[in-house]
Amino acid sequence: MRTILNLFGRSPFAPLLSHMECVAKCVHYLFELFDALEHKNDELIEKICEKISSTEHEADLIKNDIRGHLPKSLFLPIDRSNLLEILSLQDSIADNVEDIAVIVSLKPLELLPAFKNEFKMFLQKNIDTFDEALLIVKELHDLVESSFGGMEAAKVRGMVDEVAFREHEADIIQRQLLKCVFKAEDQLNYITFHQWQKVFESLSAISNLSENLAYRIRRTLEIK
Amino acid sequence: MTMMDPALLILILVTGFYMAWNIGANDVANAMGTSVGSGALTLKRAVILAAVLEFSGAFFFGSHVSKTMQSGIINADIFSDHPRILVYGMLASLASAGIWLQIASYFGWPVSTTHSIVGAIVGFGAVVGGMEAIYWEQVGFIISSWILSPLLGGILGYYIFNIIRKKIFYALNPVEAAVKFTPYLVFFVVTVLGLVLVFEGFRNLHLEYNIFEKGLLSVTLGLIGAIISFFLVKRITPASKECIPIPAFSPDIAHSLEKARKHLQKVNAATKGEMQYHVGLLIDEVESIEGSIQQKHDSSFIHLEYQKVERIFGYLQIMSACMMAFAHGANDVANAIGPLSAAVAILTTGLYAVDAPVPTWALALGGAGIVIGLATWGWRVIETIGKKITELTPSRGFAAEFGAATTIVLASRLGMPISTTHTLVGAVLGVGFARGLEAVNLTTTRDILISWVVTVPLGAVLAIIIFYPIRAIFGS
Repeated sequence: MRTILNLFGRSPFAPLLSHMECVAKCVHYLFELFDALEHKNDELIEKICEKISSTEHEADLIKNDIRGHLPKSLFLPIDRSNLLEILSLQDSIADNVEDIAVIVSLKPLELLPAFKNEFKMFLQKNIDTFDEALLIVKELHDLVESSFGGMEAAKVRGMVDEVAFREHEADIIQRQLLKCVFKAEDQLNYITFHQWQKVFESLSAISNLSENLAYRIRRTLEIK
Repeated sequence: MTMMDPALLILILVTGFYMAWNIGANDVANAMGTSVGSGALTLKRAVILAAVLEFSGAFFFGSHVSKTMQSGIINADIFSDHPRILVYGMLASLASAGIWLQIASYFGWPVSTTHSIVGAIVGFGAVVGGMEAIYWEQVGFIISSWILSPLLGGILGYYIFNIIRKKIFYALNPVEAAVKFTPYLVFFVVTVLGLVLVFEGFRNLHLEYNIFEKGLLSVTLGLIGAIISFFLVKRITPASKECIPIPAFSPDIAHSLEKARKHLQKVNAATKGEMQYHVGLLIDEVESIEGSIQQKHDSSFIHLEYQKVERIFGYLQIMSACMMAFAHGANDVANAIGPLSAAVAILTTGLYAVDAPVPTWALALGGAGIVIGLATWGWRVIETIGKKITELTPSRGFAAEFGAATTIVLASRLGMPISTTHTLVGAVLGVGFARGLEAVNLTTTRDILISWVVTVPLGAVLAIIIFYPIRAIFGS
């Protein structure tokens, strides 16, 4: 009797999703963060940064737990290295959010009217891209159920294409945004410019990483 | 007959019955626990079905393996001078296996009843009767069947699940595919059951058929089963038809469009100039229609479809669980009844009776023991396993049980006493390798090896230790 019970190992898929949900919490704090920044509410910024940092730590704990429970003797329906890559991509997204929070809290930053609208669009698009990737991770359970093929796989493939498309849109918006920032040259000193530049980099990393994440999951599917 | 003989007889019957009780209490859960876990059966139904099928398995089909245990391992002629020694030996083997199982289950070690009883019989025979008292060739067959049965279970589980996922899960319309595919599966299962089991078992009821009649009857039974299942399953409609009111959409249309696009692409590659341009336009058109269908495709009904497929497999799993219970009864009853009937036969009628067929009353006793074990303790184990195994959905459970049961049935027909647990483990691993399970713990294969390496010698040693006191008490 025990032999049969021992046969079923601890599945990493449910913890993987809860890790991603933790990361999502981090990412969604960005809206509040830049809202506070727009209203120059330094106290609130500080508070949100703390929240982001503690959520990121929570995600790290889940990540370590998943890594700690993947012995070689556990056979998974997807490649172990693929799973670990998915996990570390999710982790890097949370890291990038934390980076943004740190940069923003270092020195009060002003959202200039010259690129305010472009920046908001850019933020929105990056988070949209991430949200679509989140939906794909949520499909993992159904993918296991359908054994990584058929209609479910076709659905996920469509979602991956969607992520890629949104990432592309984010890239286009980033170019417009940078044009506006460079035009507002005289309103920015070197430090602020550098600060913004770092923020843009980390933000676009979120959509890039989301795209990579989507393609990693795409790799597990059984469709030609 | 001495004064002590009635006491000896009672002791043998009680020990044999205890072994049967133990099998019912601990091992039936392997056959039924997975079905309870997947939700295909409620606990009550599982226990009732298991009781009926374990008993029928033991009663109608238990004679093959019991015969092996009774007279296939030890050469009774060696003991012709002192036939009572063989009686003590069989009793010691039963007691050894019983004690070892009790110790093992106390510590939670994964051991197999079959391995301990075979080890005990071989150990006693080799030490007391000498090396030539054992049919080593037969023992070799048994040991190789221990290695082959988990492997065969695994291979069958792998391929059955692979067929299921290619034919049903990967279909554009899984529910329709499942509805179409179910009668074939039912036909296959029922025919196998009929061919190997049922008509073979009727020998106990003195009904004889020739091969042609057996084949015809099995196929007829299979067809009847398939037709019944066809009408039962037909009522289940695909989720796509309920959820999507758009009449233009159907998976068939998507399929046809996909074909049309592929053919157009072939034409496009083979032509030049104006023709190619027009074909290119057509391809764009087809792709845009496909895209619009795809969007409707994407809604949440996919999840519902798979749920419905699992519900269909819930019915199929009841069938495979029954097959598993039957196979288990047929194979494992021998662990109790083989040694028991040998001992009783010598004690009551003399040594020549060892080669006689296993008496029907003994099989009935074994079957009853299993059922009582199930009723008094086994249902609890089924409940525990059912609660803990939730990873096996009906489709996976069906594949694993069907693979394992077919292997066990085959082994039972060949008279090979195998471990039903190990075969099921092999089959579940097979399903796991076919990408069917979320996480499979491969360390269980180590448990199986330990069971082989530790249980057999320990059963032997215990049997020898118990043999001498028994001989001292009852005299030679």
